[in-house]
Amino acid sequence: MTTTAAPATTTPVVGFDQVTKTYGSVRAVDGLSLRLYPGETVALLGPNGAGKSTTLDLLLGLKHPDSGTVGVFGTSPREAIVAGRVGAMLQSGGLMDEVTVAELVKLACSLHPKPYKAADVLARAGITQIADRKVNKLSGGQAQRVRFALATAGDSDLIVLDEPTTGMDVSARQAFWATMREQADQGRTVLFATHYLEEADAIADRVLVLHRGRLLADGTAAEIKARAGARRISFDLEGSIEEAALRDLPFLTSFDVSGQTVRIQSSDADATVHALYGLGVYPRNLEVAGLGLEQAFVAITEAEEAKQSC
Amino acid sequence: MLNTSATRALIKLELTRSLRNKKFLFFSVLYPSFIYLIFSSSAGSGEKVDETGLTVATYLMVSMASFGALTAVLMGNSERIAKERENGWVRQLRLTPLPGRGYVLAKTASAAVVSLPSIIVVFVVAAVFKDVRLDTWQWLALTGVIWAGSLVFAALGVAIGYVASGDAVRPITMIVYFGLSILGGLWMPSTTFPRILQDIAKWLPTHAYAALGRAIEQSEAPHTTDIAVLAVYFVLFAGGAAWLYRKDTLKA
Repeated sequence: MTTTAAPATTTPVVGFDQVTKTYGSVRAVDGLSLRLYPGETVALLGPNGAGKSTTLDLLLGLKHPDSGTVGVFGTSPREAIVAGRVGAMLQSGGLMDEVTVAELVKLACSLHPKPYKAADVLARAGITQIADRKVNKLSGGQAQRVRFALATAGDSDLIVLDEPTTGMDVSARQAFWATMREQADQGRTVLFATHYLEEADAIADRVLVLHRGRLLADGTAAEIKARAGARRISFDLEGSIEEAALRDLPFLTSFDVSGQTVRIQSSDADATVHALYGLGVYPRNLEVAGLGLEQAFVAITEAEEAKQSC
Repeated sequence: MLNTSATRALIKLELTRSLRNKKFLFFSVLYPSFIYLIFSSSAGSGEKVDETGLTVATYLMVSMASFGALTAVLMGNSERIAKERENGWVRQLRLTPLPGRGYVLAKTASAAVVSLPSIIVVFVVAAVFKDVRLDTWQWLALTGVIWAGSLVFAALGVAIGYVASGDAVRPITMIVYFGLSILGGLWMPSTTFPRILQDIAKWLPTHAYAALGRAIEQSEAPHTTDIAVLAVYFVLFAGGAAWLYRKDTLKA
């Protein structure tokens, strides 16, 4: 497991130490230890039920661990929030209805110990045009932007976002991440959970892969992809395909034929391609490519599943 | 410790919202006066309510002012809290420095601001249309007592808001609201009830609540039993609300 290097003297922004949280017989978070350092933009990835939401709840003090400790800026999560050091937007976080967007943002500013001007917060979240609209009359994407405004109403050092772009279309998503980058460029630590792996790939400088409440991988997106250790190979074959021979190719980690197209993954693409030519076939449209983060993610979690079932 | 400026900001917005909600304003501010006019008109002008020596118009004035205050604080708290617990606003607020109690306090304070006009409107209607006449100290004491007494029901509203959720909160609130109003004798004197209901009514908080105001109308000091009954209910409701609030916080 790779960890981002940071000076040992820096107080971590977030420190989880052997944290466990159980619901009935389900271990939502299982002995989780991790550190986030100032200025990092970190993506939290994991399939549904991996423990992402519970991890964020623990980090924000909405839930308390059964064992282990959670520290934020060296204090308890609640103390960090009271000091105005944390801004957060949750999927499950609702909005007060029957008030306007501007009124709600103004409230968020009054609640923050180090507030920004409400007009600036509205502008930055891109919701100045809908400032006079009632909160309960917003589209999903607009509501997300209002939640983002609430999370950035003041000068917080850590911003936590749970699935922030849910309900946004592609252009809204791009605009959102541009805003988010500005926040990160000002030296803030940003932690976001997402379903969209391309977002993690493009925005995060560190990716945490969570699976069954445990940290499966921790590194840059490139490192995660390398860790999956495989490359994609695809090619077309003419005539009948001798599947058995192809399946015997060395270093294969996955195999799929549809029509005349063969798609395989290999942990040593050079050796696999060499052996392929050794079969005496003429592969056309040969492509060899690295795994995307998404495939790497699937590969890592599947490998873990396999390990657990044996 | 209460973060007062944060709580004040929330109270302000809660109030803005209450004052914008026409349905809520109608039911808490105007509706009690309507019922007052209807009920008091069915009695002759000099008619007295047994045992009290008060005219029907005077007697009902306290009942309906109490009813109005009850409406404002009970409805204002229970449904909103249940709804905001469910839609996640309570969770979102927990990500701010606002202490959890600040939320309950803001709800109760804004309900109390609405309950004051609902009391006064009934008084004005009674004085103008039904010629109810009292000494200045009585008007002031009535306002103060009915307003302060409504805190008991504000606490009950908070408790209901934390115990019920979703579709259940409205029926529960309505049953409690009409049950307490009618059985407690706010709509018609409990002396007209059958014996068994009268025995029940005696121990209801709404009965004691209206009795406080009636004692002032009779130029008497409020009865210790009524004060004691209300105090016990207040401790019960507020304690229950605090316990449910804590339970909800741990679960959320």
